[in-house]
Amino acid sequence: MIVAENVEKRFGDALVLKRVNLRVEPGEVVTILGASGSGKSTLIRCINGLETLSGGKITVDGHDVSTKAGLVAARRASATVFQLFNLYPHMTALRNITLAPIEVLKLPKAEAEARARALLDKVGLGAHADAYPQQLSGGQRQRVGICRALAMQPRYLLLDEVTSALDPEMTGDVLRILAELAADGTTMVFVTHEIEFARHISSRIVFLEQGELIVDLPTAQFFAEDGGLAVRRIRQFLSKMKKD
Amino acid sequence: MRFWRVIEPHIGFLLQGFALTVAACLIAIAGAVLLGALTASMRSSGNRWVRGAANAYGDVFRNVPFLVQLFFFFYGLPELGIYIGAFETGVIAMSIAGGAFVSDVILSGIMTVDTGVIDAAKVSGLSRVKIFTRIVLPIALRVSVRPMGSVLINLVLTSSILSTITVNELTGAAKIVAATTFKPFEVYAVLLVLYASLTTLLSFAISAVHRRLNRFMTGG
Repeated sequence: MIVAENVEKRFGDALVLKRVNLRVEPGEVVTILGASGSGKSTLIRCINGLETLSGGKITVDGHDVSTKAGLVAARRASATVFQLFNLYPHMTALRNITLAPIEVLKLPKAEAEARARALLDKVGLGAHADAYPQQLSGGQRQRVGICRALAMQPRYLLLDEVTSALDPEMTGDVLRILAELAADGTTMVFVTHEIEFARHISSRIVFLEQGELIVDLPTAQFFAEDGGLAVRRIRQFLSKMKKD
Repeated sequence: MRFWRVIEPHIGFLLQGFALTVAACLIAIAGAVLLGALTASMRSSGNRWVRGAANAYGDVFRNVPFLVQLFFFFYGLPELGIYIGAFETGVIAMSIAGGAFVSDVILSGIMTVDTGVIDAAKVSGLSRVKIFTRIVLPIALRVSVRPMGSVLINLVLTSSILSTITVNELTGAAKIVAATTFKPFEVYAVLLVLYASLTTLLSFAISAVHRRLNRFMTGG
C-alpha cells in the first residue's frame, strides 16, 4: 500500500503540494487528474523519492521514503514510467531493460535477458531488442520504457504522463498495453490527461487543483451526473481539456 | 646521403628515447584519464567539501606551469622522504597535470547528460557509483572524448619537458645527440617526424573511440 499523509512540497516560495492525503491499495488503478502545474507529477516524484518532502510522510508498503533504507525498499517495490521515456541512450532496448535486474536484483544475465525478450515480445517489439533508443519511434521508446519498469517486477507502477509526448496513433499503442496491465491486476498510479482512458481503466480518480487534492472518488461516482461544488469545478476542467 | 650519415650512428639511442617517451605517455594518459574521471565525479558531487577539494586540485594544477610542477615533485618528494626515480616522478607529474585538464572536459560532458535519464537510473535502485560508471560517464564521454583528445595530445607534447629532470626520453636523447654531433637540424628533424607520428596515432585512436561511443547516435 502507498500512503501519503499531509504531504507538502515547496519549491522556493511556491507551495506545490498542500497537505495531500492519498492511499493506494494493491490492485487499484488510481488516476491523478489536474491542470498543468497542479502538482500531479510532483506527487509522483515524491512517491519515488526524486523530490524530498517539505512536510508530511509517504510510505510504500510501510517503508518511509524520507529515510535512506526506506527509500531503497520503496524503490524496489515500485517502478516509474516517464513522460519523456528517459531511456539510456547508449544502451540497446534489451540492455535498457536488463541493466537494473542484473545490477539491482542480481539476476543472472541469461535470465534477465530472457525475461526482457519476453516483455519486448509482449509489447510487439521483439524484433527491436538490439535497437538503440535513437533508432526507435516515440511510441516504441515508451513501450521499451514500460518494459524497463516491468522488468523490475514492481508491486506498484507509477506512470507520469506517459502518453503526453506521443501522437494519437502511438498513444493508442501504449494505452492498449496499460489496459492489459490493469486487467492483469497491476497496481498503478497514473498521472494523465487521457480522461476517457482514465474513466475506462481506473478504479479511483483523484483531482488536484493548485497543489490541493480536492476530490478522491471511485471512478463511476467521479463521472456521475450529480455532484457538489468540487465536481462542478472538475467538469469545467474536463470540458476545457476536451476542447484542447 | 648526408642526412642519414649524421643520424645513422645515433638512431638506436634516439629510438630508445622514443620508446621511453611512448611508455611515459601511455602510463600518463591512463593516469590522467582515471584521475580526470574521478575528479569530474567529485566535482559533480552533492557534497560541497568533496566538490571543493576536487575544484582546488583542478585550479592549482591548471594554473601552474608544468615545468614548475615537475621541479616541485622532482626536488620536493625527496624532501618528504619519498625517493622514486626521475621517470616515475615525471609520469606522476604528467598524470596529475593531465588529470586536471581531463576533469574539465569530462565535467562539461557530464553537464550535458539529461537529468531525466539519471532520474530513471535512480528510481530503478542503481547505486550512485553504478549510476556514474554505467550511465553518466559513458554518456558524458561521447561528447568529451574529442576535446579530451586535444588535452591528451598536449600531454604527449608536454612529455618533452621530462628531459629537464634527467629523463632521456626522445627530447633528452636528442639534446645529447645534437650536442655530440653539432648537427641539431638533422636531429630535430627526426624528432619532428617521431612526435608527429605519435600524436597522429593518438588522434586516430581518439577518433575510433569517438565513433565507438557514438555508434548509438547514427540510427535513423
